[in-house]
Amino acid sequence: MSMECGVYHTTYEADTGLRRLPAERIRLGIFILAVVIFPFFASSYWLNIANQIAIATVGAIGLNILVGYTGQISLGQGAFMAVGAYAAGLFTLRLGLPWGLSIALACIVTAAVGTFFGIPSLRLKGLYLAIATLAAQEIVQWLVTHWPALTGGTEALVVPAPRAFGIRLNTDFAFYWLAAALAGGTALFTANLFRSRAGRAFVAIRDQDVAASVIGVNVFRYKLLAFATSSFFVGLAGAMIAFYRNIITWERFTLETSIIYLAMIIVGGLGTIRGSLFGAALITLLPALITNVGRSLQGSAPALAAQLPNVQQAAFGLVIILFLIFEPEGLSKLWRNVKDYFHVWPFAYRRGDGGR
Amino acid sequence: MRVADLRTIRAVSLALLVAGCGGGGGDAPSNAIKIGAIFDLTGPTADVGVDYAAGVQGHVAHLNASGGIEGRPIELLFQDYAYEIAQAEQLYSQFVGEGAVAFMGWGTGDTEALRLRITEDEIPFSSASLSHVLGDAHESPYNFLVATSYSDQFRIVLRWIAEKHREEGRAGAPTVALMHNPSPFGLSPWVQGGESYAAELGVDVTLYEMPGGATDFTAEFTRIRQSGAEYVVFQNTSGPVSVALRAARRLNIDATFACLNWCANALLMRLAGDDAEGVIGAIPYAPLTSDAAGVAPIREYLTSIGESPEERTNAYTQGWWTFGVFAEGIRRTLAAGRPLTGANIKAALESIRELDTGGATVPLTFTDEDHRGSKGLRLFRVEGGAWTPHTDFVTAPR
Repeated sequence: MSMECGVYHTTYEADTGLRRLPAERIRLGIFILAVVIFPFFASSYWLNIANQIAIATVGAIGLNILVGYTGQISLGQGAFMAVGAYAAGLFTLRLGLPWGLSIALACIVTAAVGTFFGIPSLRLKGLYLAIATLAAQEIVQWLVTHWPALTGGTEALVVPAPRAFGIRLNTDFAFYWLAAALAGGTALFTANLFRSRAGRAFVAIRDQDVAASVIGVNVFRYKLLAFATSSFFVGLAGAMIAFYRNIITWERFTLETSIIYLAMIIVGGLGTIRGSLFGAALITLLPALITNVGRSLQGSAPALAAQLPNVQQAAFGLVIILFLIFEPEGLSKLWRNVKDYFHVWPFAYRRGDGGR
Repeated sequence: MRVADLRTIRAVSLALLVAGCGGGGGDAPSNAIKIGAIFDLTGPTADVGVDYAAGVQGHVAHLNASGGIEGRPIELLFQDYAYEIAQAEQLYSQFVGEGAVAFMGWGTGDTEALRLRITEDEIPFSSASLSHVLGDAHESPYNFLVATSYSDQFRIVLRWIAEKHREEGRAGAPTVALMHNPSPFGLSPWVQGGESYAAELGVDVTLYEMPGGATDFTAEFTRIRQSGAEYVVFQNTSGPVSVALRAARRLNIDATFACLNWCANALLMRLAGDDAEGVIGAIPYAPLTSDAAGVAPIREYLTSIGESPEERTNAYTQGWWTFGVFAEGIRRTLAAGRPLTGANIKAALESIRELDTGGATVPLTFTDEDHRGSKGLRLFRVEGGAWTPHTDFVTAPR
């Protein structure tokens, strides 16, 4: 009787699958199960955090398509989220469109705006492009605060609550399902995108754009496509915020938002979907964690607790610096290291080739 | 055991670990009244946020030392949120989940973001954002505006300018430059009632935006000089305004300067020094240096804990009395023997008529139609490095 010591794919279908190994499928199954069970046990507080993580995941995957996969740095994340949020809100509020259609249209509008601001990427790279996208951030923010007829200006834009089958969808519990589905859909689309011709072209541009053009990639076209795809999902994240919160204010979409999202994908891992989720979760949970530590200290060590807000600011920076130094590939790589370690644990030393 | 099984166990235990992280909470007496609060101690508005926070906490400690409200202690659930809206939302749902019956907010961003949520949850909410719309009981039924709104402040200043202009027997319409923060906060006094009142008074107002982070206002003041403006009104925080004041003095701008709430404080003097001399301030809450009866308990409390009242700004008075109004609402609810719910506290707050704060503010009145408790204030003037009362209490024009 022969024995298989490994997983052998005997068909092309099996070899190109998204989840090729049984262990991967089991892990995914457990993850999905946890996602499904979670809301039935979680308090409103944890549901709120879970929803924030889901929205941040969509936004981070969007940004990762551009920064992590295509290598185009963007500081316009906040602006594109604002476009998505305001577009979704205005389609429903001014044109009376149903919320689902508004979200879809908002994504398309954001994709168009993102493509427009992506045009400088033809000539600009790296820091120069970052500054060009910074302009997008400033321009959009200025328009939002100075165009009261369209955006409500000084007053926030109040968006009607989304409803389906007679249920209001923006309660913490109901929105969780919508957010989880949209985040899952975004992850699935993106995972498949990078198995397609377009996705491969993005990666080729990131690795070496001249080489990419030599092997027949239309660099400008694919850069713009990357901006469009990225902005599409960033706009989706913005639209989700609009309908979850019912109310849109410009202060949610400042330059700081752009930087926090960059931090998410750096800490999580550039160019991975899993990393986007990890980064979004960590950056959302970190303040909550420090808050809870601080509050438990308020009784026993008030002097220490009083210093904690400052620690919070420092902790944020420290986390990013530590990741850059010790694990530049982010949480995603850390997760892979853990998997590799346990692969044959506790028996043998295995050559550190990183598995696959 | 197969590898996959081991992984299953790991994943499940990890999931359990994550799920177990919830909960927490204090161990205060069970009859404690819980009130949530978010403060900006490290964010962009921390310059005034720190004193506001200390004022709220000071009043809570002061009340608890004398037996709380109707014999029940107050437990303030608070945390710094660094002016981040996502954080404000997290903290809000956390504190309300832990049983907070009222909430003390802070900035425009978080107050707007939570406006619908608090209505749904029936949580009375105060904020230091004094946007006029927040006082509209139909638009925002659970928001309470404890200080004079930005537009009322601006209208009072405009009327003062028009009167001064007339008294001095000057010809023509007074010309005013409104220098404002480049945000809805900055434009709020103008679009929410200032514009129409200026037209009514016949005051000529021109708007100048103060770009964020600007270190030089030469261009703006050159234009202001060309326009011949006799008055410059600031709607911004102390930091940028002190920069502007220094620039104006250097360029010898011959105008009277006036500050609305957020730059009319002790911080302005610290930052602008002698250049702040003569500035008019629309101050809804008396500075701690004032001799008003409502400020005396605050001074006493600060002295009793070994702090110097002179080192605190009027943001401390604002924090103290904003909480004071909520404490009054809670006291009335308990005194009437009604259960302490958000809706009952709201009703009790709406029953407040002419609440005397001992000259810390004008007497405060809330109704079920109008949540703008304060309709007036006192104008102060910087004289010899201190805010000195310049007018008596005046009510905003209707």
